[in-house]
Amino acid sequence: MNLETFRYDNRIVRAFAIATIVWGIVGMLAGLLAALQLFWPGANFDLAYTTFGRVRPLHTNAVVFAFVGNAMFMGIYYSLQRLCKARMFSDRLSWANFWGWQGIIVAAAVTLLSGFTTSKEYAELEWPIDIAIAVVWVIFTINLLGTIVKRREKHMYVAIWFYIATAITVAVLHIGNSIAMPAGWLKSYPVYAGVQDALVQWWYAHNAVAFFLTTPFLGLMYYFLPKAAERPVFSYRLSIIHFWGLIFLYIWAGPHHLLYTALPDWAQSLGMVFSVMLVAPSWGGMLNGLLTLRGAWHKVREEPMLKFMVVALTAYGMATLEGPLLSIKSVNALSHYTDWTVAHVHTGALGWNGFLAFSMLYWLFPKLWNTKLYSVKLANWHFWIAILGMMFYIVPMYWSGVTQGLMWKEFTSDGFLQYPNFLETVLQLVPMYGLRAVGGSLYIVGVLFMVFNLWQTARAGQFVPDVEAQAVPLRSQPAHVESGPIYKHRWLESRVVLFTVLSLVAILIGGAVEIIPLYLIKSNVPTIASVKPYTPLEVLGRDLYIREGCVGCHSQMIRPFRSETERYGEYSKAGEFVYDHPFLWGSKRTGPDLHRIGGKYADAWHFNHMEDPRTMSPGSLMPRYAWLLTQKLDTNSLPARISALRKVGVPYEVGYEQGQAQQDLAAQAAKIVTNLKQGSVESAADREIIALIAYLQRLGTDIKAVAPPAAQAATSTVNQP
Amino acid sequence: MIKNVLSDIGGIGLYGVISVCLFFVIFSGALVWAFLLRKPHLNALSQLPLNDGSHENSQKGNPDHE
Repeated sequence: MNLETFRYDNRIVRAFAIATIVWGIVGMLAGLLAALQLFWPGANFDLAYTTFGRVRPLHTNAVVFAFVGNAMFMGIYYSLQRLCKARMFSDRLSWANFWGWQGIIVAAAVTLLSGFTTSKEYAELEWPIDIAIAVVWVIFTINLLGTIVKRREKHMYVAIWFYIATAITVAVLHIGNSIAMPAGWLKSYPVYAGVQDALVQWWYAHNAVAFFLTTPFLGLMYYFLPKAAERPVFSYRLSIIHFWGLIFLYIWAGPHHLLYTALPDWAQSLGMVFSVMLVAPSWGGMLNGLLTLRGAWHKVREEPMLKFMVVALTAYGMATLEGPLLSIKSVNALSHYTDWTVAHVHTGALGWNGFLAFSMLYWLFPKLWNTKLYSVKLANWHFWIAILGMMFYIVPMYWSGVTQGLMWKEFTSDGFLQYPNFLETVLQLVPMYGLRAVGGSLYIVGVLFMVFNLWQTARAGQFVPDVEAQAVPLRSQPAHVESGPIYKHRWLESRVVLFTVLSLVAILIGGAVEIIPLYLIKSNVPTIASVKPYTPLEVLGRDLYIREGCVGCHSQMIRPFRSETERYGEYSKAGEFVYDHPFLWGSKRTGPDLHRIGGKYADAWHFNHMEDPRTMSPGSLMPRYAWLLTQKLDTNSLPARISALRKVGVPYEVGYEQGQAQQDLAAQAAKIVTNLKQGSVESAADREIIALIAYLQRLGTDIKAVAPPAAQAATSTVNQP
Repeated sequence: MIKNVLSDIGGIGLYGVISVCLFFVIFSGALVWAFLLRKPHLNALSQLPLNDGSHENSQKGNPDHE
């Protein structure tokens, strides 16, 4: 036998491990700050940079892309080399991947806190950073596929399938959802508008959960669990079915984020059906993992890594049962826009991703430093504190979600809303928000225990930068002589390019069938003649709404339920959003829906409310936005913005931005200043607040100008309270 | 309200049918494929994480599982 000697690269694994821990703490602290702000408005510090609307996307991006992202790279860089019996394809690419990713994270943190955001959930970063992400992702993919190609192991273990699916799908999703027209270095408008933008965004966001938070971690589970349990996976057959079932079903389920919205009904039903079907492969995978421990449960008692892994799998099972449940339209009618969704995603984030990342860290540190874990007892403390923290987080959020959902829908015996004031339903939740912050704090304390434990472990050991290994190169391995179905199977699983193409086809078919009909809609959305493009002042106001992250707490999508039309007014129509680049439907109502806010209050009310919400709504949890009253509106960027919007299809006349737009802006601003005077408020016309008021007063009013025939014909609402 | 949005696209129901048929074909294919595999081969595959050619982890798994 022609044995080759080679070395596995541990340095890159160590770098990603440290990054995982550092960004994990940053992301969780940002989450804790956001949690405090939700019941204690003072924690916004009256600073634009630290206000909830900007902290929340920082938290989600830091946790998803920085913490989980680095943990994913850590696990893949460790396991891939060993499964391929080869060092990474290129050390240079490995480090370009590492430093590129950390650079993107820093750029993300700085721009998000500075208010540069696209507002699209989990895709908030502006276009130059999006390009950087695409480049780094391509580097990672080349390194991944290159390593697989030069492997010394003929067969690709199932974990590698999950890694390949992750690499190609995330690339497709990221590029598909990020196509935008720049209107400056850190400002862009998506090419899609309204309903189309919503569907593309949730096709992306849903599958980002699937292919960034789920498939790579399933691959890691299939590697690290057998490794730690020192026994092979329960059923390799089941893992094959798990893989193909999962990647083929996930891609269709995105529309379940848009149930009862203005999205076409067929797409909603498609999303719902495929979501329910997803239970099967998800639970197949979970059971496959748990049953791997059959006969080895005593090891779970002794090995902290396995404890975390078991809870991670259980949380995966819970979240993947609950997800389909929430996708059923009648359940979603209650759960959507409430904290129930928050509870659901945190079962996944804290339980599945968090615990699996901790599990890998506890296992890898002793291996990388060639020693034993400093303290098993301390790891057990971490385990129990994290469980407690998770419970204190998730249970109050369920309570809060169901409470608020029911309160929104409660009618008196006379047929009026029981709680017509939205704030009443929010104040009911404050104790739950307090408990949630306790839960989050406990979880972070647990992480600090882990940091100390791992630090001491590394100190006690000696880092092993390279691990020597031996294997026979593929060219020297005997060719297969069998025939029949086995041969076919081996033929596929040993061909990385073919495998990659097949996975790509599987996800592209799903995406295409979902999205192509939406392109046909453009000419089929009933045109509402009175819906017009935003005025220049409103465009800038809308961009301020985006900058401050208002969409994090306020939806702009009134669902066709009596409980919503009573509270907010006429339900939202697809035709009303044709000029909305991006759509701002939102996914959570910490504050009320704003789609019909236009004309509801006087300009002065908005002015005072933005200065201090509690003067107009005593007890309100909304942060103060006092800086909008003093900061000068940037009108220099107006021509670039109008021009970019025209390029993506908003019918502004050619040359409108050269002078006329500025005049229209000044005239509208002067009118608002006059209105404010009537409300005893003095303001200069060139302040940001004026633009924001202009936008808010426009919201949802076009439809009232002339009642369109379609709206008149369909005034009945869905028979749902 | 939703029907009036798409009433003009002919054969819109076809998209749902295509998706279910595709899923059925591919999922059935994966099932058949998985069940045609022979146990010794599956055992060899499931052993892959346990033997990486290094001396880091010398213990082998229990080959009783498929």
